[in-house]
Amino acid sequence: MPAAVRNTVDRLDKPSAYYQGRNKRKYNRDDDREDRPKTPDEPAEDPLKDATTLYVGNLSFYTTEEQIHELFAKCGEIKRLVMGLDRFNKTPCGFCFVEYYTHQDALDCMKYIGGTKLDERVIRTDLDPGFQEGRQYGRGKSGGQVRDEYREEYDEGRGGLGRAIQAERMKEEEEYGKGR
Amino acid sequence: MADYDHRPRGGRGGYNNRKRRYRDEDDYDRRPQRRRYEEPLSVKVRKQLLAIAESPLKRVEDEVYSIAKVVADNHEDAELRKSFEDLALQLVVEQPFKTPFVASVVLAINALKSDFVDSIIAKAVTEFDSAISRGEWREVKLLMKFLGCLQGILEGDGVFPVLQDILTKAVELQTENSDDTLGPELVKIILFTIPYIMVSSGSDAIEKAASMIENTDIIASEPHVLQALVDPYPGNGKEDATPPTSVLQLLQKQLSNEATNGWELACLPRPWKLLQDAEQEITIANAPKHVLPPVNLPEVLVAGPRALFPELYFSVYANQDVETVPPTTDIASCLLRDALIDTINILDYNRNATAKFLIDLDCYFSPGTFVKRATPFDRLRDIDGDRSTWKPEDVAVDAVFSQLFQLPAPEHKLVYYHSVLTEACKIAPAAIAPSLGRAIRYLYRGVDSMDLELSYRFMDWFSHHLSNFGFTWKWTEWIDDVELPSLDPKKAFIQGALDKEIRLSFAQRIKGTLPAPYQQLITEEKEKDTPDFKYNDEATPFAADGRELMSLVKKKSPEDAIEPIITRIQSTAKDLNLPLPPLYYSTDAYVTSICYIGSKSLSHVLSCIERCKDRLLASSEARSQIIESVMAYWKDQPGIGVNIVDKLLNYTILSPDSVIEWALGKSGSNLSESAIFEMVAATVGKVTGRVRQVVKSTQEPDIPADEKATLQETVDRERQSMKELFELMEDKLTGWASGSKDQMLDGRGVTDEESAMIVQWGERYLRVFRRRGAVEEAWFLDQSKIVVPAAVEEMKVDIPEPETVEID
Repeated sequence: MPAAVRNTVDRLDKPSAYYQGRNKRKYNRDDDREDRPKTPDEPAEDPLKDATTLYVGNLSFYTTEEQIHELFAKCGEIKRLVMGLDRFNKTPCGFCFVEYYTHQDALDCMKYIGGTKLDERVIRTDLDPGFQEGRQYGRGKSGGQVRDEYREEYDEGRGGLGRAIQAERMKEEEEYGKGR
Repeated sequence: MADYDHRPRGGRGGYNNRKRRYRDEDDYDRRPQRRRYEEPLSVKVRKQLLAIAESPLKRVEDEVYSIAKVVADNHEDAELRKSFEDLALQLVVEQPFKTPFVASVVLAINALKSDFVDSIIAKAVTEFDSAISRGEWREVKLLMKFLGCLQGILEGDGVFPVLQDILTKAVELQTENSDDTLGPELVKIILFTIPYIMVSSGSDAIEKAASMIENTDIIASEPHVLQALVDPYPGNGKEDATPPTSVLQLLQKQLSNEATNGWELACLPRPWKLLQDAEQEITIANAPKHVLPPVNLPEVLVAGPRALFPELYFSVYANQDVETVPPTTDIASCLLRDALIDTINILDYNRNATAKFLIDLDCYFSPGTFVKRATPFDRLRDIDGDRSTWKPEDVAVDAVFSQLFQLPAPEHKLVYYHSVLTEACKIAPAAIAPSLGRAIRYLYRGVDSMDLELSYRFMDWFSHHLSNFGFTWKWTEWIDDVELPSLDPKKAFIQGALDKEIRLSFAQRIKGTLPAPYQQLITEEKEKDTPDFKYNDEATPFAADGRELMSLVKKKSPEDAIEPIITRIQSTAKDLNLPLPPLYYSTDAYVTSICYIGSKSLSHVLSCIERCKDRLLASSEARSQIIESVMAYWKDQPGIGVNIVDKLLNYTILSPDSVIEWALGKSGSNLSESAIFEMVAATVGKVTGRVRQVVKSTQEPDIPADEKATLQETVDRERQSMKELFELMEDKLTGWASGSKDQMLDGRGVTDEESAMIVQWGERYLRVFRRRGAVEEAWFLDQSKIVVPAAVEEMKVDIPEPETVEID
């Protein structure tokens, strides 16, 4: 049966819209810059075809490696676990990479663990082409994940309000104090 | 709908909402609206067919008729035709609940435009042949059911000759070898098809069905030799153990009953009847008939990708004072269960869809089969005598548990079944949660007579499930059991479940969920993130040496700085004539230091082990001490210790037999600790997984002969060491199970009662690992039947080594 057959219900082991969207953008950008000859008959090799790594998001800052290991090992032996860290203080900042030995284990993890709770938070999983040094650090301005900069909801597990907003408020308060 | 409009209207508030803030100023969305367009007919029919019978608000006969009408009226639309046929057959194998309804659509089309139907029947037969050639027996069964539903529009005897051919195959297989498992599987296909034939629009099947059932009896009624192996409740010395019944035996008996009772088959839907009664412009009964193309049963059948074992009927709702699930005397028990487990196992790629099916179970069976959804258990007593008291959620949950507790293993990873229960609970908490509560109580009551592997699965599911629902459980019900001795299976379950909860959370959090009498089970030590370093206590032998060693390892000092301390410990031990070999004392200090330094996290301990691995690898004489030190350091959080031991196995610092020796050889009272079972099971899993991997590698096509020989040697070697490992376990465990080993508990001799419990733990372990051994052996035999095409000799041309050419 060709792989193109669509199942009668959606599959949960597909890469997220985030991943796909990001790829599309990159692709367009490349095209604009350099006039590479296009090879439409040769579709690019899917980097997730044999992916064994998952990006795991929406973790609490306080969730430990052991807790992650305990849950994720239910889908197969874990080869490597890389905690996401704040670029500056090197403390956990709410994401990690989990690498399995097999592609199937990673797919199963998407199906059975993504969207369930760990440490009482609903976590997110996404297939990932593989961990590279440097990716363990948050890319937000203040060192954590970008999403924690401008978050307007208070999230106790992720350092309260977004950091940029916290900084803004702090500044406002200071200025208010000076003005008096 | 979902295909077209995914975007929620008010997308504000999600993270990264900076990008969407501009909308705050807008009162309405000013973007141009998507141009409305009429979707193609094939898309419309696709949506209708996909959703067939899903909504309790629509009359299913209207749905059936409206789809059939569009398809028949547009029979010249090739795209529509293809998409309808493909989807209809795909639904049959992906969403089996819908088969009777899809079949009714075909019956209705037949009445409207009869020549349309030939190609879909032909297509079903092609798919059937393909499923057989792949050994996909579930698909074979599902397609058979579909064809069975179409019996009324098939010429002559319809599907019966096919069933007869299948039966002949099954009998052949059984005559050749009565241990064979494929024969019973084939009979299961036949028996599960018959009810669907009997509720079809075909009217002359009664005699043929009866004679078919008579002929299957010889295979179906015989308990299979492997049945005892997969018994979920072996009893463990308890007297009330019930003998297991296989689904096949049960179904055979139920079908014979139906045959004598006029085939009531009350639970199965008959949508074609509704269609006929609905006074539509069609008649189902006297519609034209079609020839069923011949099916192709190959001479030798493929066993298929999944090892087959006898399937036993398992229910967590047996023996209640009011029936909430069909009793095993009623054929509904097998029919509902069969459709449910197929649905569950097929849809593993979308647990939300699975859970939705479980909740909507009552849509797909006859009205009146169940009580209204979410009827409380206590309310069932008020229901009139002749009306059903079956709770749809109990029936659904029961099916999930039957998979979770399937021996030797269910089709998917256990965590899939966990996730289905979690989702079902999320969709309909008021309906599902009380059902789970009763299931948990039933399982807990029987935990001492349950197979050990299953009680471990129960513990693992229970703790994982609670972790998704705020760790709330009515612990008060089991308060009396807190005082039981730790060797008692019930107490072992409580302790094990709490340990597992802690591993998914943290000690303080779990402690907060427990009533007072349980508090003592979570000791102060368990709450410590970093266990004490024993050498900090002056009373510990080698305290000063231990501390010095630790600080050297911590500072990443070179080996020549560490060596003198090691030597010093060893020579002191020798001088003092200590009971253990000197290497053990130095290893204890070294490994304990590593654990302490690495206590911060798994990656800390791993990097420390990595640094120290040469010395650890050189300490193979003291492997048991390495394990001892790790487990002693992590005695209050044994789960972490088990993980470290597992990693040490990967580094080959430990060997599988050293782990087994340590876990099973030392003390019988260990056996009740869940961490010990976990350690043993993981180690055995590693070894058997390795054997499977190397065996699989020999099956790659085109392996040159010399390489093949090397691979074969590896297989033989790995299999030999697996065999030795199982023998070692057998030896250790028989010692406990027969009560012939001296037993100690907390440094004292044991009482008679305790000794009896240890004997039972030994027996429970033995059962589990004897089964593991038998399963691996059966797997290997199956694999050795696979014929691997050898590398074609002619193709192999000796390529001379290329001469090295220097390139500047």
